[in-house]
Amino acid sequence: MPATTSKGLQERVDPYLAILGPMVMILMILAFMVVVEPTRYFRASNLNIILLEAALYMPMAMAMTFVITQRGIDLSIGSVAALTGIIVAFAIKEYGFPAWVAVLLGLAIGSLFGLINGLVITKFRVPDLIGTLAMDLVYRGFALVLAKGLVLARFPDLITEIGRGRIPGFLPIPVLIGIATLVIGAFLLRRSRFGRYSIAIGSNPEAAEMTGIAVNRYKVYAYVLMGAMAGLAGVMLMGKLNAVQATSAPYFNLHVIAAVVVGGTSLFGGRAYMLGSFAGVLLLSMMINALVTLRIEFFWQSVASGVVIILSVAFYTWLQKKDRDGARGLLSSFATPDNVKLGKLGGAIALGIAVLLVTGSLLSTGSVPSG
Amino acid sequence: MPTANPIISMRGITKRFGGVTALQDVDLDVCPGEVLAIVGDNGAGKSTLIKILTGVYQPTEGTVEMDGQPLSMNSHSEAIALGIDAVYQTLALADHLDPAANMFLGSELTKSFLGFKYLDNGKMRVEAERVLLERLGVRLKSMDVPTESLSGGQRQAVAIARAVYHSDLRVLVMDEPTAALGPQETARTLKLIEVLRKEGLAIVLISHSLDDVFAISDRIQVMRRGRRVDVVTTSQSSHQEVLGLIVGAADAA
Repeated sequence: MPATTSKGLQERVDPYLAILGPMVMILMILAFMVVVEPTRYFRASNLNIILLEAALYMPMAMAMTFVITQRGIDLSIGSVAALTGIIVAFAIKEYGFPAWVAVLLGLAIGSLFGLINGLVITKFRVPDLIGTLAMDLVYRGFALVLAKGLVLARFPDLITEIGRGRIPGFLPIPVLIGIATLVIGAFLLRRSRFGRYSIAIGSNPEAAEMTGIAVNRYKVYAYVLMGAMAGLAGVMLMGKLNAVQATSAPYFNLHVIAAVVVGGTSLFGGRAYMLGSFAGVLLLSMMINALVTLRIEFFWQSVASGVVIILSVAFYTWLQKKDRDGARGLLSSFATPDNVKLGKLGGAIALGIAVLLVTGSLLSTGSVPSG
Repeated sequence: MPTANPIISMRGITKRFGGVTALQDVDLDVCPGEVLAIVGDNGAGKSTLIKILTGVYQPTEGTVEMDGQPLSMNSHSEAIALGIDAVYQTLALADHLDPAANMFLGSELTKSFLGFKYLDNGKMRVEAERVLLERLGVRLKSMDVPTESLSGGQRQAVAIARAVYHSDLRVLVMDEPTAALGPQETARTLKLIEVLRKEGLAIVLISHSLDDVFAISDRIQVMRRGRRVDVVTTSQSSHQEVLGLIVGAADAA
């Protein structure tokens, strides 16, 4: 029976889906780069760059896996990282704190910001999307106020070791830190109440509440973990660049969310894959590095991250659908009355733009310098 | 009234939500080893009544006594600690977790290493399999699949197993346990209820299906418009009489 075999196949493949998706994409990038730009992409120094870049995102991807599994989202992590970096830098430069105290302070400050996020969401009942987006403005504002446009640079060895050090003959220190956080995250996910409840909360919030789980407390825990890891990333970033400024870490939010979602963790909650998040982080770093290697303009990175998020969410949603091909093949499933109406709307918009472009160019008076 | 002393006595329960009176001066008694069915039309106050019994709501007026001792429960978890638990119509399962994780949700088994506690997934699995088989006679094809892939009856069994696992469980409330099930699974669920009654649990069953109610219950409490209309002994009553009480035809007659 074909029905049972295909179900059997899906059942067997399902547990590995999280790792298969990003793996296929990683292989595609590798294959593409072998053809297009093998010499520069596969240099040892470039692979090192890829790993260093990925390491920066690993702790945040670990924490974001928990947040997203709970059906939450945190859009403030870039600013948390920047503000934490600034505070750590001030503690060292202005107040002469020992580096190790400053690093721990960074983790603590990040946790505090995470706690604030969690309380805003659970106590003030501000939806996570708006709450963390607003707090993003707050943290970024404080970073700008504190740093006043300064670039703080040249930090003690401990900081640069965390950001770009290397154990001779082995992996870079930030990569080890990143992998360690992911391993701890994987353990927490499968073997701790926090992990178990995170899945339960995302899977069925009412059920979690009814079985006596302190839903809001565990949500706050996830945001605190997220804040701490963003703080750690802030320290790692300042070590990597040996400099920090208020505008650093601009694209952290979507980059980390993209990595987690590509790894198969569901934005609709309840489905968490720590290994997938690891693969997702690697994939995004390889992709962005490929863009750089191909000398594509930096700003395309943001386009690429956005497209990757949309594609992977759509892909995993499609995979979840039981009835994938409908009755009469792909094309007929597009020809529903609703889709026809949407098609007409799209056509009307395209026509309008075309008409405006033609009118504009017909009435054009040549280019006007803006300065 | 059965001869045994009631384990739960609710007296004069009134519950108001703002200006709406959901329950008005309602009594309820249930004894160990008894199935008490609560029937009534939509909005008759059945759910509100059992939510007060399970600590989800607090009564505006009236008392809940257990073994003659007055109870004041402020949350569902306090009720669970006292041995009162419920299986909801929605089952309250986290579909992405496996059956064992669901069964122990909120009360996980742990082991510790160097004073650091972590979940004992292996033991939870073994225990879940044991409870399902020994107490409910249910064997699942696989304990590793997400709960969403189980059939309606199996999901029900997992939800019931969660409630009965607590050895100090004394009162089990079941809200529409058969509403979403086919005939075979309904029969199996009724058999489960039978098993639990024999174990001496007091069972409060809410159901719209009079067939199920007459098949399993010892007494039937009929609710209408927030009041208790009557309590009848199942063996001495009929569909006709209970239906009449539900719709209030007896008043008119």
